[in-house]
Amino acid sequence: MTDHTTDLVAGRTVVGEPSGPYSATTAIGRGLEEAPVLRQGLGVTWLLAALGAGGRVVVPILIQQAIDNGLDDTGDGVRVDMRFIVASSLIAIGALVISAICQRTAVVRLGTRSEQALNDLRTRLVDHIHRISLADHNDERRGALVARVTSDIETLAEFFRWGGLAWLIDGTLMVIVAAVMLSYNWFLALIAIAISIPLFFVLRIVQGHLVQAYDRARRRNGDMLASLGELVSGAETIRAYGAGRMFAERTKTAVRRRADAQIRGNLIGAFLFPLGEVFSVVTIAAIMVAGVTIGPAGGMTAGALIGFIFLTYRYLEPIAEFTEVLDQTQTAVSGLRRVLGVLDVPVGPPQPAVPQRLPEGRLAIDVDDVTFSYRSRADRALADDIVLEHVRAFIPAGQQVAVVGATGSGKTTLGRLVARFADPVAGQIRLGGVPLTQVDNAELRRRLVVVAQEPFLFDESIAENIRFSRPEATRAEIERIVSLLDVQDWVDGLSEGLDTRVGERGESLSAGERQLVALLRAGVADPDVLVLDEATSSVDALTEVRISRALQHLAEGRTTIAIAHRLSTAARADRVLVLDDGRLVEDGHHDELVGAGGTYTRLYDAWLSATTAS
Amino acid sequence: MSPRRFARAREHIAFVRALVRRQPKTFAIAVTGAFVYALCTVASSIVISWVIDHVIDPRFEDGEVATSAVVTGCALIIGVGVLRAAGVVVRRSFAGITQWRIAESLTDDVIDRLVEQPASWHQRQSDGQLVARGGVDVDTTIGVMAPIPFATSTVLLIVVAGIWLVITDVVLGLVAVAVFPLLMGLNVVYQKMVDRHFDDAQQALGDFSGAVHESFEGVQLVKAYGAEQRETARLSAMASRIRDARVKAVYVRGTFEALLEVIPSATNIGIVVLGAYRIRDGHLSIGELSGFIFMFTLLVFPLRLIGYALSELPHSGAGYRRVTGTIDDPLERDPSDTIAVAPDGVAVALEDVSYTFTDATEPAIDDASVRIPIGTVTAFVGATGSGKTTLVELMSGLVAPSDGGVAVAPGARAIVFQEGFLFGGTIRDNVQVGLPLNDDEVWAALHLACADGFVRDLPDQLDTLVGERGVTLSGGQRQRVALARALARHPRLLFLDDTTSALDPATELAVLDNLRGALSETTVVMVASRPSTIALADDVLFMEQGRITAHGAHDDLLRDVEPYRRLVEAFETDRRDDPAGRSGAAAAGGGS
Repeated sequence: MTDHTTDLVAGRTVVGEPSGPYSATTAIGRGLEEAPVLRQGLGVTWLLAALGAGGRVVVPILIQQAIDNGLDDTGDGVRVDMRFIVASSLIAIGALVISAICQRTAVVRLGTRSEQALNDLRTRLVDHIHRISLADHNDERRGALVARVTSDIETLAEFFRWGGLAWLIDGTLMVIVAAVMLSYNWFLALIAIAISIPLFFVLRIVQGHLVQAYDRARRRNGDMLASLGELVSGAETIRAYGAGRMFAERTKTAVRRRADAQIRGNLIGAFLFPLGEVFSVVTIAAIMVAGVTIGPAGGMTAGALIGFIFLTYRYLEPIAEFTEVLDQTQTAVSGLRRVLGVLDVPVGPPQPAVPQRLPEGRLAIDVDDVTFSYRSRADRALADDIVLEHVRAFIPAGQQVAVVGATGSGKTTLGRLVARFADPVAGQIRLGGVPLTQVDNAELRRRLVVVAQEPFLFDESIAENIRFSRPEATRAEIERIVSLLDVQDWVDGLSEGLDTRVGERGESLSAGERQLVALLRAGVADPDVLVLDEATSSVDALTEVRISRALQHLAEGRTTIAIAHRLSTAARADRVLVLDDGRLVEDGHHDELVGAGGTYTRLYDAWLSATTAS
Repeated sequence: MSPRRFARAREHIAFVRALVRRQPKTFAIAVTGAFVYALCTVASSIVISWVIDHVIDPRFEDGEVATSAVVTGCALIIGVGVLRAAGVVVRRSFAGITQWRIAESLTDDVIDRLVEQPASWHQRQSDGQLVARGGVDVDTTIGVMAPIPFATSTVLLIVVAGIWLVITDVVLGLVAVAVFPLLMGLNVVYQKMVDRHFDDAQQALGDFSGAVHESFEGVQLVKAYGAEQRETARLSAMASRIRDARVKAVYVRGTFEALLEVIPSATNIGIVVLGAYRIRDGHLSIGELSGFIFMFTLLVFPLRLIGYALSELPHSGAGYRRVTGTIDDPLERDPSDTIAVAPDGVAVALEDVSYTFTDATEPAIDDASVRIPIGTVTAFVGATGSGKTTLVELMSGLVAPSDGGVAVAPGARAIVFQEGFLFGGTIRDNVQVGLPLNDDEVWAALHLACADGFVRDLPDQLDTLVGERGVTLSGGQRQRVALARALARHPRLLFLDDTTSALDPATELAVLDNLRGALSETTVVMVASRPSTIALADDVLFMEQGRITAHGAHDDLLRDVEPYRRLVEAFETDRRDDPAGRSGAAAAGGGS
């Protein structure tokens, strides 16, 4: 399978890269389509957010009112209208409380709905990724697929937590503040607005540099972690080759480069907030000069002018936040694009619209003139991409067949086609007379089981791993399979028997023991057809014996296709299919083929000389 | 403050001081910048009062104002504002330098420790944990360094501002100052509550990521059993824990954000009412009242930041303890220092060697003694867990014996592990590993390891990047490059730990043929599990449960040692079933 990884990469559909077809608007549109929860009551949420934002102008307005209407400076002492001040303060408190309640409701509404929407999206993505073709899964792209479900969705979560709220509140707040300013004095308001425009652009420029700087810092951080990872997982090799200092220096360089990149980003960021500060004081000074120049004759009041000074801060504050929010929005949109890109990858072999039932009992397999290439168009495929070419073989029910061939001969692919992990580009495979494309996936998986050459184990107990094939299997059933496959002695030797935990990827078991678990798993599933993909690597001798014993018991009475790497398996089989460069070159029993002087004879001789002890 | 709290506070102070000691100068500059900011904040509200009383009020009440006052007001507003901004720039940039240089020095210390500790130490640690020490734990540790200069200056700001507020007007001042602890306390409670949910969410996210990774890794299995729906349901349940924790955080956030908005504003409204009384009674001017409110508004944000810094302290402290746990872990003795020089003609000598893993009760190696002559090929054969690999690690100086002595002949040694480990870099880098080899020498080593063929087919040949851990190569290819790395050193003593098992039998045979031809001078000690590999050896040591139970030529052991015969025959079982009966002929042919 490892050698095929390259083939699979060649035929991949794009998964990792942000995919082309989405502009920002279409991406957001499609995102909203995918998340109906988010659209529900968005108008109400916005209205509440706007009312909440209104609370922030209560104090400046109160100050203006108090100074203009409650405090009358006569020159020899201030006459205070206490009744007016207390009354307007009570109104202000009321407005404040109402706006706070509105703000809280808006925050909670947006927060709960966005979390629900993201949760739905995670589930949809996981489901979709499980269903896309195996050709779109491989070691190199697994990280990217995991990132789609985790970190890309996190960029969206981050956006909703801060940016989404800011879009709702800050935008409205600026409009409200501008409206209040305009109502006091349109000329001063225009000065404030005019000064804020260059601030916006200057901040955008700084922000642009900042984003680049932090992108670099993130990359450097990745380099540093990769380098540290090597230092740790290669510790034995590094010790054995006395390369400690060399690798320490290499890693420290990566550490220093990360620190440099972070400091650079930090330096740019250090100017962001003070810029707003400088613009604020310039605006306040300008407003003061203009206000004093206009004077009472121009309809200006002291309260309005002082109110202006307070409002200026309230007006400019959101701008700085807004520029940050724009970038966060960009990050979120590109995260969304990548997520949508994965949702657009077509799912693996499609389900039939009207499935046909498989006949009961043992099933024959008919490989009918099958051609396969990893670029799914036979006519345009290059000769090199053709993995199987016009392969024909009828395997009667109950027959035990071994498929042999050199690495790259197409034997693994043949197994995958029979298991319908992919469909042939030409020809057809029939199971019990029914074309595979017409079989319901759930039924197919019940009747046909694949045991992979590097079986995958979950970080659970052995029993749980066995039960994966049939979750409703009872303990007694599992124990029955253990004795049926004659591996009771192995189970007894484990520290906690069937309850022994296997560790990540089954690492606390040996490769051979992992295979035993996979065979037990297949046994519990009790399929009619078995596709076995043998392991290449050697396992220790005792386990080897157990495996072949268990295999024999498991294969009994089932139609079996073994993708054989050990020719002893082929020698035991009812029939051997020999593949060479994608073509079926020999078909017969081991006894006939071994002396025929063909491909099989050569394979067998090479294998014998390599595995003979003395 | 309870005694325990007091102790914790002292611990926090000690921790922050330890960090600051790594970067004292830049930290001092950052704090100075923060002080400038704090003083200018107080100054700016004084300026606002002054402008209202001396510029705005005269203009609107008396009808005119001196131009000089307007100019002074402008200059003061802009001057103090710019100075305040400069303080922020200095504080933030130097806090950044402080923070990231501290991170660098901590990670460097971790790296030094990682390469100083011997393999036996590494074997006891989890890889992921060690990477976290130098990476995420360091980042957590320095998290507190960003807000600290600001927080320090905020304390000053609050003190100065508090005094100024009280001096301006005792009654109003006391009201405002009384709200400070309320706001600060509210922030601390808020951070604590919301952090709990965020931590839960982070934990849930970590679990979810791990499970997603596992599920995608096993996707073929999931498909093979048609378990897509089941897996989606399982992962979806995990994902909903992220949502639940975050929704709880949303409620906390909604409530506290609203409170933190309402309390300062309500206080301001109260100040307006109280201030109006004070003005009526002639204790206060309108400008002073406005400056008062302005000051109070400016203080709200710094007060929030103190809450943040305080809530960050325990996190950072925990990170620091993890980092220093690794840095200060005592250096273990380098096992290779314990290796003596073997007597003439002997490549490796073990004298009554025993080895017990930490936490194990039974010894992994039990009283092993052996002498391996120079120039021979020796194979260790045994069932899984019999101690073969441990014995090779003892002989190659990767672990030190618990008891007994190991002696090795002088000269270059090389070891190839069961899983060939490649570094992210080129094929050439991976063969060289610090040796100044020319291309011919690299190719020669690759040729011996039967790796030259596939390397020639790679797009950039020796310059091909193999990716992190060599992921772009297959297991067998990685193994052969790792073997070439060992052979390039022309070792006098070569240890192979089941090295060729990842290769298919035909390639294995070719590799072993090459070794036999090229290494006539070299002593080879290998762990072997395939009969063909064992057949290469001059001498076979049979191991059972940590003991060397038999020693001799393969044929002799086959004849005389019953358990050995059973083990090796287990391989042959395959062949005995061979209906063609060719195994007998092959065995006879192989024996010649």
